[in-house]
Amino acid sequence: MIQDAANTVSQAPDALAPFKSEQLNLIAGEGGALEQLLFRSAGQNVQAVMTDGLFLLIFWFSVFFFVLLMGLMVYWVIRYRRRPGVPAPVSASHNGPLEIFWTVVPSSALLVIFIAGFRGYMSKVVAPTDAIQLNVTGIKWDWNITYPNGERSAYSLPMGTKKAVKIFVLPEDTSIQLLMQSKDVIHAFWVPDYRTKMDLYPNRYTTYTFHTEKLRDDETYRDHWIFCAEYCGDQHSEMYGIFRVVRKADYDKILTDWSAGSLSCEELGQLVYKNNCISCHTVDGGSGIGPTWLGAFGTTRALEGGGSVLIDENYIRESILYPQAKRAAGFSGQNMTPFLGVLSDEEIAGVICYYKSLGSQPAGGGEAAPAESGAAAGGSSTGG
Amino acid sequence: MTVMDRPHDVMGHGHEEGSFLDNRGLGFWGTIWDWASTVDHKKIGVMYLVAVLTMFFIGGVAGLAVRLELFEPMTVNAANEVEGVLFNAGKLVQTETGEMVRDRTLTAAGAGNTYNRIFTIHGAVMVFMFIIPSVPAALGNFLLPIMLGAKDVAFPKLNLLSWYIYVVGSLFGVVALIMGGTDTGWTFYTPYSIQTDADYYRVVLMVGAAFILGFSSILTGLNFIVTVHKLRAPGMGWFDMPLFIWAIYATSIIQVLATPVIGITLLLLIFERLFRVGIFDPSMGGDPVLYQHFFWFYSHPVVYVMILPGMGIISELLAVHSRKHIFGYRAIAFSSLGIAGVSFIVWGHHMFTAMGELASAVFSALTFLVAIPTAIKVFNWIATLYKGSIALNTPMLYALSFLFLFSIGGLTGLPLGALATDLHLHDSYFVVAHFHYVMMGGTVIAFIGGLHHWWPKMFGRMYNEKIGMLGCALVFIGFNVTFFTQFILGTQGMPRRYASYVEHFQLLHQISTVGSWILAVGFLVHLANFLHSLVAGPKAPPNPWGGLTLEWETESPPIAHNFHHEPLVKHGPYDFESVVPPHCSEEDYPLPKSVS
Repeated sequence: MIQDAANTVSQAPDALAPFKSEQLNLIAGEGGALEQLLFRSAGQNVQAVMTDGLFLLIFWFSVFFFVLLMGLMVYWVIRYRRRPGVPAPVSASHNGPLEIFWTVVPSSALLVIFIAGFRGYMSKVVAPTDAIQLNVTGIKWDWNITYPNGERSAYSLPMGTKKAVKIFVLPEDTSIQLLMQSKDVIHAFWVPDYRTKMDLYPNRYTTYTFHTEKLRDDETYRDHWIFCAEYCGDQHSEMYGIFRVVRKADYDKILTDWSAGSLSCEELGQLVYKNNCISCHTVDGGSGIGPTWLGAFGTTRALEGGGSVLIDENYIRESILYPQAKRAAGFSGQNMTPFLGVLSDEEIAGVICYYKSLGSQPAGGGEAAPAESGAAAGGSSTGG
Repeated sequence: MTVMDRPHDVMGHGHEEGSFLDNRGLGFWGTIWDWASTVDHKKIGVMYLVAVLTMFFIGGVAGLAVRLELFEPMTVNAANEVEGVLFNAGKLVQTETGEMVRDRTLTAAGAGNTYNRIFTIHGAVMVFMFIIPSVPAALGNFLLPIMLGAKDVAFPKLNLLSWYIYVVGSLFGVVALIMGGTDTGWTFYTPYSIQTDADYYRVVLMVGAAFILGFSSILTGLNFIVTVHKLRAPGMGWFDMPLFIWAIYATSIIQVLATPVIGITLLLLIFERLFRVGIFDPSMGGDPVLYQHFFWFYSHPVVYVMILPGMGIISELLAVHSRKHIFGYRAIAFSSLGIAGVSFIVWGHHMFTAMGELASAVFSALTFLVAIPTAIKVFNWIATLYKGSIALNTPMLYALSFLFLFSIGGLTGLPLGALATDLHLHDSYFVVAHFHYVMMGGTVIAFIGGLHHWWPKMFGRMYNEKIGMLGCALVFIGFNVTFFTQFILGTQGMPRRYASYVEHFQLLHQISTVGSWILAVGFLVHLANFLHSLVAGPKAPPNPWGGLTLEWETESPPIAHNFHHEPLVKHGPYDFESVVPPHCSEEDYPLPKSVS
């Protein structure tokens, strides 16, 4: 019903159905056995191929020295094991030329590795002029990406413990530049398949670039994991997303589909909810980091530190923009991210529409149990 | 040097003087007071040993818990319940009446919150309370004065103060832990550490613990530097010092120079939390990257505070148990100082994903510089084995394990120092595996090996050699199973500090968890062996391994004043080719014919 409203708003839902699929098409199993073991699959784009090449160079360099050193160690331990009554023969306690040799040779190898590392790095941070710029926002505990024409992802799928993991589409064989910013703490946007990541900071931009691969003829799309790699709290491990690489023509169609202009106030609110609020607030009465939205509108809420407030449009707006102003009792220590400057007035109005649509009957009726967390808390409080 | 006012002194300096462990006539409370008020570096060393091993136990249990949680990923079943969570302490929440209760409703966030507190305990306890003081404060305190031929460190009372500061700092950490722990990670990155747990003082307590522990570290370092400069026995020049002393000396310099920086940084962090100053928090105009610069300016050099003493131990173990002059003595000594120097200019390699192109390039280049003295040490150690007379006992097995594990730890630093590969591997399990190979495969392995090497000297009892070797084998196998898998997890794309993961990482995570159990059994075998040795081990001779450094000249355990007479140094620490070890016969330790 409402839950699928955002997804089904499109002129031609059938044509785009494949791209909403919950079936992940992850690359796996390409390349040699070593590459498959190390990276699950050989690199698909120019940045990944370069990185894998350098990694394997270092790998074989390391294997050579490691086997040489350990071979000598084991051989000498066996060859020169202690025999009672037999002294160790006199041998040199240092050897100048040998020591200079084993200082200079590894140093030169390190120079090569450094230069290769720097070249690969530049290909990841300096974007070509024709790159598409995507604005990435990290927020506890989800990703938002704004496309050049202002669109945002409207496709999602359930995964792990999350109801809605976002799918972000990318056109194939195109340079992409990510311009990234965090809204709260530090996050890091890691796409393991593209072998690159960068931290996201509040109040400052960071950026990196990659070139998407070409799809095989038998594929309609290909998926890549996005993980948060900088520790950010309770649901750090649930902060993931999907990059779905599609053909350029499909990319344009999907972005049109995503156009939020055709959404009703309530649908827009649900979309904003899925993009920003779902980590902490439930809409089915279940407990969460913040209070559930089900049946809350029009009720009176007890506040931390005494007092209460009627949940109306202004209270919702205030709580979105200045969450600490009037904090609900029972949620001590939970610092909701302020959305001042993040959500537009239209989006906030949408959230209010959606919030209202979730009903205003007081708790206690029906199968939904908004009283659940309150009951647990209240039960204990009688003891004290 | 301080004259010690202890009951033993009444007996004078004759050969009747008892061991430092002798507590005859003191009674129970007398013994307690004797230890609590001691200024004897040996007793302080033993007290540090007990304290750091206790912390190792706490940190180790937390580490095992982390591995257990990762045995399976969290999922949601059809009934919308979270599965795959092994422990869930719940979150402290305030009820409407203002009371604090634990909300144990099983959510991914709640489980993640518990997991985050446990890995923070593991990291903070292991780094600040175990590894940093392990070798320098425990073994260093016990051995440094004896190896120099001194009666004690230069400032014995300051030494006792360091121990008490260490205990107070650790108690702060334990109190924070009992109050529910913190979820900042041991790095306390801002702005997360400024915002989390806003209603409690746990983060302040935990940061305060690290701040206090820093003073213990500084004072110990200062004490050791002065001791090395001033209290070497007659005849011991700088290049007659054992390499363990060189390593401790280099470590002490880093401790004295770098620790004040973390002290100031942590103090600023506490101010930021309590008074909202606005230095690190971007919402008040601060800069979170500045915190990282400050933090790593200390915490990178401190990596070498952790590993250099371990390297010192390995130099001793390899020389003594292969009866060989250490190859390239001066190269090893100078590379210790070289590592200490370079360690101050490479901190930026922890922040390649946070800095601009120029800074990243400069720090990457500097980082490769530090690889060179480290590689030189490994080459020298292995060359020492050549034409030796190698005894395969527990300390030597540990030394060889060190060479194996530390080489992997060092080589896997290369793709992290190279920029292109680091952007992939940064903050992944590859980093976790890398630093465990260096910190645990390096420092902890060296520490346990050193403990076996000097155990007879410290407590006057031998341990069961076969059980020791069994423990070493279990630790070696368990360690590799636990952490080698994590290299592959990292390259495949598993981020660190995750309470859950996508399914295709599960097999490797399970192998790693099983490895952690083998590792734990290995450590328990050692613990049992040591406890058995204390109670029923055969008496140790003064020089069970045929060592030439000064600690082997005195009794086992050493007498209260270390030596009956001030030792006169007539030979180098590794002159195995020309000197019969003290208390040993030439029959057992024959000299090469060309000399004898």
